Amino acid sequence: MDKSHPLTNLALEQTIDKILNQTQKDIESSIDSALNDTNQTLDDAIPKLDKEYDKIIADGKKEADKIEKQIIGGADIEARNKQLMALEASVDKVFTKALDQITNNDRSGDYANLIKSLLDESTRILGTSEVIVTANSKDRDVVQSALSGFPGSELSPDTIECIGGVIIKSKDGAMTFDNTLDARIERLKPLIRKDIAAKFGVNN
Amino acid sequence: MTTEGGVQYSKIAEIKGPLVVVDDVESAAFDELVEIETTEGERRLGKVLEVGNGKAIVQVFEGTTGLSISGTKAKFVGKVMEMPVSKEVLGRVFDGLGRPKDGLPDPIADKFVDINGEPMNPEQREYPKDFIQTGVSVIDGLMTLVRGQKLPIFSGSGMSHNLLAAQIARQASVVGKQDDFAVVFAAIGVQYSEAEYFRRSLEESGALKRSVLFLNTADDPAIERIITPRVALTVAEYLAFDLGMHVLVVMTDMTNYAEALREISAAREEVPGRKGYPGYLYTDLSTIYERAGKLNGRKGSVTQVPILSMPSDDITHPIPDLTGYITEGQIVVGRDLFRQGVYPPINILMSLSRLMKDGIGEGSTRDDHSEVSNQVYDAYSRAQEVRALAGIVGKAGLTEIDLKYMDVGDTFEKEFLTQATDENRTIEETLGLMWKIVSKLPKNEITKIKDKHVEKYYKEE
Repeated sequence: MDKSHPLTNLALEQTIDKILNQTQKDIESSIDSALNDTNQTLDDAIPKLDKEYDKIIADGKKEADKIEKQIIGGADIEARNKQLMALEASVDKVFTKALDQITNNDRSGDYANLIKSLLDESTRILGTSEVIVTANSKDRDVVQSALSGFPGSELSPDTIECIGGVIIKSKDGAMTFDNTLDARIERLKPLIRKDIAAKFGVNN
Repeated sequence: MTTEGGVQYSKIAEIKGPLVVVDDVESAAFDELVEIETTEGERRLGKVLEVGNGKAIVQVFEGTTGLSISGTKAKFVGKVMEMPVSKEVLGRVFDGLGRPKDGLPDPIADKFVDINGEPMNPEQREYPKDFIQTGVSVIDGLMTLVRGQKLPIFSGSGMSHNLLAAQIARQASVVGKQDDFAVVFAAIGVQYSEAEYFRRSLEESGALKRSVLFLNTADDPAIERIITPRVALTVAEYLAFDLGMHVLVVMTDMTNYAEALREISAAREEVPGRKGYPGYLYTDLSTIYERAGKLNGRKGSVTQVPILSMPSDDITHPIPDLTGYITEGQIVVGRDLFRQGVYPPINILMSLSRLMKDGIGEGSTRDDHSEVSNQVYDAYSRAQEVRALAGIVGKAGLTEIDLKYMDVGDTFEKEFLTQATDENRTIEETLGLMWKIVSKLPKNEITKIKDKHVEKYYKEE
């Protein structure tokens, strides 16, 4: 069997070692470079990530604010509506009670003066005392006696359904003035409601 | 509020369109409120348009359908039309005449105010100069709305102006101040579905709490539309000048208002002006638009955003034409952008806010706002020219800088102009987007911005 020269083996081994060393160095250098690149990429990504993070937080905060507004706004409106309904029910109760009292009021004394002033106001607005006056059945006597102060006026045989007061019509039928207590209360209702609400502590 | 009752007259001489002529009327006043009672006892409201020679012409808000000469009665109430106002109106929904439409009782009034308002003394007016953030980039960035301004939106039929109106109503705010802000929204002759959208939109966003809605739908009598903007403005003035709030009034659609005015004018046999509208259309519109502003020594303000749809998209039509004379700029909604699916489809080259310059900059928005806005306008204008050129010579025939401008145009439309209907952008975000557009241009193309701002905000891509 032919044996190789010992020097040849040595040279081969040296070459292999050299290649191995070189390769190791290359690999180590590549690893170092890759590590550096990776670190660089990571460093570069941090501001972007921070920006993204801030954006997500800001968007989340915006969304949370929106939802908060929706919930609080809805709840406020609901609570306010309930308060309004409760207030209105109380105002209505006061109205009903007041109307009952007026309806059942005694027709003597001041009431005759009230009728007279209603007739005064009505004839002044119509511009004539040549009128036909209509009242409810309860007030007919009071009205009849008050009419003596209004020449040309007469009491209609018809009666109306109301809590008090008069409706006055010109004799040609062209003009009518409703001066019943019902009409007056209806006219003043917004102001009366405000006063009643103020008594309940509702302050505008 | 007068406490004396009115006389009822039973001699009706004529019923013509929305008008009723009452005979033998001894005392009636111009603009006096009239209660019309039908033979069935139904009551309708109207107002005196003309009075003289024992006759009064009454305009019936709820229409004259079903009225007959015999049996109809007209009660002259002895006062002009008034709106009960108080802080309690916030969060409420009313019809076009100011009656509750939300199933709740009438508001307990603090006072009763004539809906025709009192003209603002020009001497007392304060120049508007405070920014209102709408959260819509194109408005905040390029046609900024200022407190006390009247800035109309010119749109066309079928376009997305109502979405924009609702978005502005939901999002508008005064930035950085603790002042109270309110929105008064007047829908004039809108479809039922649109009215419901406005109501729902404000309810669901929680913005109803600080809003007052007046809804006059298309099936309501046209004549009511004459009243709707006036009751809305009456409430706005009360909130602004009595309660010190900053109030944004959105009115849509003013074209329906003008058409109602034309209907009455025709019924009164007046000599028609352009397109049949009355000759006093300008004067009449000014009585609405001029109710915006700020007053010396008063805390609040009334800002108006009237919306009108231009018939056939014609900007020379009398309604946008006359509106443009009175208001301080305009926001034009563009058909082309709308067709491309862009929202909000605002054509910035035709739009302008005349008071913007006084409401932006350091202390209001940001010191670079004016300059970056000019640069964006300029760049988009150039992009449009380049697009037109590309249509002729093709993209291959364009220079490198032309292509950059095309890119700027696309980015402007896709990232800045386009916005979700529920997206509320802050002014900082808007300015950031504007700089993103500007940064697509090389530095030597930026000619309208000071170097210090370029150094600070320009980020080359």
